[in-house]
Amino acid sequence: MSSDFYTTQILPYAAIIIKICRAYTDTQEDFEDYYQEVCLQIWRSKDNFKEQSAWSTWIYRLSLNVCLTFLKKKKNNKQNAPSDLLPDEVLVDSRAFSDESLNQLYDAIRKLSEIDRGVILLYLEEKSYQEIADIIGTNTNNIGVRITRIKERLKKILSN
Amino acid sequence: MEKSIERIWKEGFIKNDALVAPKLNNLYNQKSIDIVEKFKRMYKLNRIGIVAFAIIIIPLSYITGMIYMGIPMALLFIAVTFVAQKFSNQLDTIDKNKSSYEYLSSFDKWVKDMIAVNSKLSTFMYPYIFMAMVLGFWFIEIEGKILGNMLINGIITEFPTTYLVNGFPIFLLIPFFLVIGILAFFGGRIGKWDINIVYGGILNKLKILLSDMEELRK
Repeated sequence: MSSDFYTTQILPYAAIIIKICRAYTDTQEDFEDYYQEVCLQIWRSKDNFKEQSAWSTWIYRLSLNVCLTFLKKKKNNKQNAPSDLLPDEVLVDSRAFSDESLNQLYDAIRKLSEIDRGVILLYLEEKSYQEIADIIGTNTNNIGVRITRIKERLKKILSN
Repeated sequence: MEKSIERIWKEGFIKNDALVAPKLNNLYNQKSIDIVEKFKRMYKLNRIGIVAFAIIIIPLSYITGMIYMGIPMALLFIAVTFVAQKFSNQLDTIDKNKSSYEYLSSFDKWVKDMIAVNSKLSTFMYPYIFMAMVLGFWFIEIEGKILGNMLINGIITEFPTTYLVNGFPIFLLIPFFLVIGILAFFGGRIGKWDINIVYGGILNKLKILLSDMEELRK
């Protein structure tokens, strides 16, 4: 990947990738792996970008897809390997933002299902229902209901 | 008042520390090692499979009365394992301390050498397997009689004027040598196809990774 491409096409949108990757990882090491993989995939797939959507929307979609694939692979590996690690729900994120509320919100988001995490991240990033539906690959009606349900679930987790 | 999740999100990311992009490093290094390690595991499994087959085929062929097929097949598989083991030893000598690109290039060269030798061997291997199979079937005993002899006798009785070469009807010899010729001619290609079935996925990944890295070096 040329540093020019990274600087001009990826770095301005790094915030998007960071926000998504943090929601799908528990450790800094995993986060860095996911981030690098997303960047690599963006670079590899750049020729497939058809300008039917904004570059940022495309980055959202690709980042989510990479994270979901990585997570699936990780789960498969965990299933295949005997592990004496703690179960997922006991794992605590080793990283911390200086904003405690944000830390709690991220912890809560990580307790959601993979798809719900994607939906709420896009919602919080102020994407329209249509854009969220396009990125996730579902219909707009479904998104509205789903967001309401996810927000309720997040509130419940946060209040606990 | 409790903050809404939208507000937590917005305010949280105003602070700079939340959005520090990690440096892109070491990615190719890890990927290179992963790909070679995965290949090594598959190659080892493949060798174990061949040895297991070589061991099983002798008693199996004895039980089925095809020992003349079993022994040459077992010998062939032992020879193939020996060659594969030699290649595996070479693979272990690739220096992991090289740069990712050099490491992968060395691995790529090893793969190409392995495929080239395998293709050459396949030119002999597939006709050999065919001959072993013919031999196996030929010497099957049915009611105390050998199947091959029964076949020759049948042909001679049916076609008394048939031309014989060293006691074998030309009817049998022509297709026999034709099949051997075809297998020898296409053996290399069959060998490559065989490798592609087993290792195709991983070799494609290697190709993509190398081309990424080559572009990076430009």
